[in-house]
Amino acid sequence: MGRRYANPPIVEAICEFILTAETRWDLTVPGLLYERLKQSFPQKEQRMVQEVELTQGPEGLQQQIRTSERLLFVTEHRNLLVQVGPRLLVVNALKPYPHWEGFKPRIEMVWKSLQETIDVQGLERIGLRYINRIELSAQSIELEEYFEFYPFVGRWLPQRMTSFLVGVEFSYANDRDRCRVQLTPITHSETEGKIAFILDLDYFLARPRGVAVVDVLDWIEEAHSRVEEAFEGCITDKLRVMFEEVSG
Amino acid sequence: MIYYTDYYKPQPKTSLVRELLETGAEGVKPEPLYIYRSDEPTLGSVPVGIVAYLASVLPILFRDLPQSSWLSSPESAFPARRWESESFAIDIEMLMGELARKVRLENPHRIREYLLRFPELLDVIPRAVNAAKRHFPEAQIVMEVYQDPEIADRYLVLYIRLKHYDDSVINRLQKAESEYLDQLVNRAGWIQLTTDFREPGEEDAL
Repeated sequence: MGRRYANPPIVEAICEFILTAETRWDLTVPGLLYERLKQSFPQKEQRMVQEVELTQGPEGLQQQIRTSERLLFVTEHRNLLVQVGPRLLVVNALKPYPHWEGFKPRIEMVWKSLQETIDVQGLERIGLRYINRIELSAQSIELEEYFEFYPFVGRWLPQRMTSFLVGVEFSYANDRDRCRVQLTPITHSETEGKIAFILDLDYFLARPRGVAVVDVLDWIEEAHSRVEEAFEGCITDKLRVMFEEVSG
Repeated sequence: MIYYTDYYKPQPKTSLVRELLETGAEGVKPEPLYIYRSDEPTLGSVPVGIVAYLASVLPILFRDLPQSSWLSSPESAFPARRWESESFAIDIEMLMGELARKVRLENPHRIREYLLRFPELLDVIPRAVNAAKRHFPEAQIVMEVYQDPEIADRYLVLYIRLKHYDDSVINRLQKAESEYLDQLVNRAGWIQLTTDFREPGEEDAL
C-alpha cells in the first residue's frame, strides 16, 4: 500500500471502460444499468456530447461530426458519478477523493452491474487516471525543489521558463499498458500570487483486448499501484510535507 | 525560475494539420486521428472543448522540433489520441482559463469547487457568458459563487457591472438570460445573471 496524505492534491480520479465493438449494446442498456445502480447513484442526469472525428484517408483529411447522449448517475453527495455512453462506462470520483478503499468498491460495483446487464465481450480500453492540482503559494519556484519530473533544458538555453508542458509515456507489462504522465502549469490570472500545476497520471490499456474480461478488476488494482508509484516518483519530500503524509 | 504566460495562445494550428497529415498510412483503414468531444459549442468564437483538446495535443505540436524522435513514428510517444479520458477536472481547468480572460472571477477556488460539484453546468456557462457579453458588450462581468445566508443554497452568479445604468438594463438581462435558461432545465446547479448595480472595477460583489 502506498503513502497516505491528509491533504491529497487529487481533484479527480477516473476509471474508464471502453467495450469492444462486438459487445452488443442498445438504447435500453443505460436504463437497465441505472436500475442496478440507483441505490448508490440515485440522481440521473444527462448531457449531450458532440464528437468530431478526424480521419486520414486516401483522399485526405476527413471529418465526421456526431452527437451522442451520455447519461450521468450521481451519488447523493455528488462526488461520485457514472457516465454511460455507447460502449462507454466511466466512474468519476471528484474532490474530496474517497481514497482507494472508497473508490475501488464503487468501480467494482459499477463494473459488475454492467456485466450483469450485458455480455461484455472484450475491452478496447481501460484507463485509470488521476488528476492532481498542486498549488504553491509563490510567484516563482525552482521546479526541482518540488518535482522529480520536470523539463530539462540544456545550458545553452535560457533557464528562465515562462511556460512548459512536459509529458512522458511509460511502458508496462511488455507494452500492454502505458502510463502517460503530464505536468503542466496553470496559467490563469485567477491564481494570482500562487502557482498551480496539473499533474496528470493516466494508466491505460494500450493494447486493445489485452486484458480478459474476467481479469479486469485485477488489472485495475495493478493500475492503481503503478499510478501510485508514478505519482510518488514525480514529487519530492517538500510536496509530501505539503500534502501532510499520514502514517498507517 | 518560472513565470507564466499564456501557453494556449501560440499559433501552431497549421503545424498540427501538417502533423496530422503525416501520420496516415496508405492502404490501411485509418483509425481516427483524434476524437474531440465537447458538450458546448463556443465561448466567444472558440469551442471550449477545442481549447481543452489543444492542451491535450500540445505534445504533438511540440513534435515539430527538428530531429525529434516524436516525429518519426505515429506509434511513438503521444500518438494522436483515439480515446480521451472523460475528465471533469480538466474541462473545469480549461473553462476557468477561458473565463479568466473574459470575466472577473471572484474567489476562483470556490467557483472551481462548485463546478466540481455540478459539472453539468460546464456547457451552460459559456452560453451564459456569451449571452451576457452580447447583450452587455460595454459591461464588466463578474462571476462568483453566491451563498444564501439563510439557507444552505449556493449557486453561480454573473454580475453585470456598468458605468451607467438605465431603464433598459432589466430588459436586456431578461433577454440575455432567456438565451441559456432552457439549458438549465433538469440540471443540478444554477447560474444566475443579474447586476449588483456597481461600477466596473469595484471590489466585492454583493
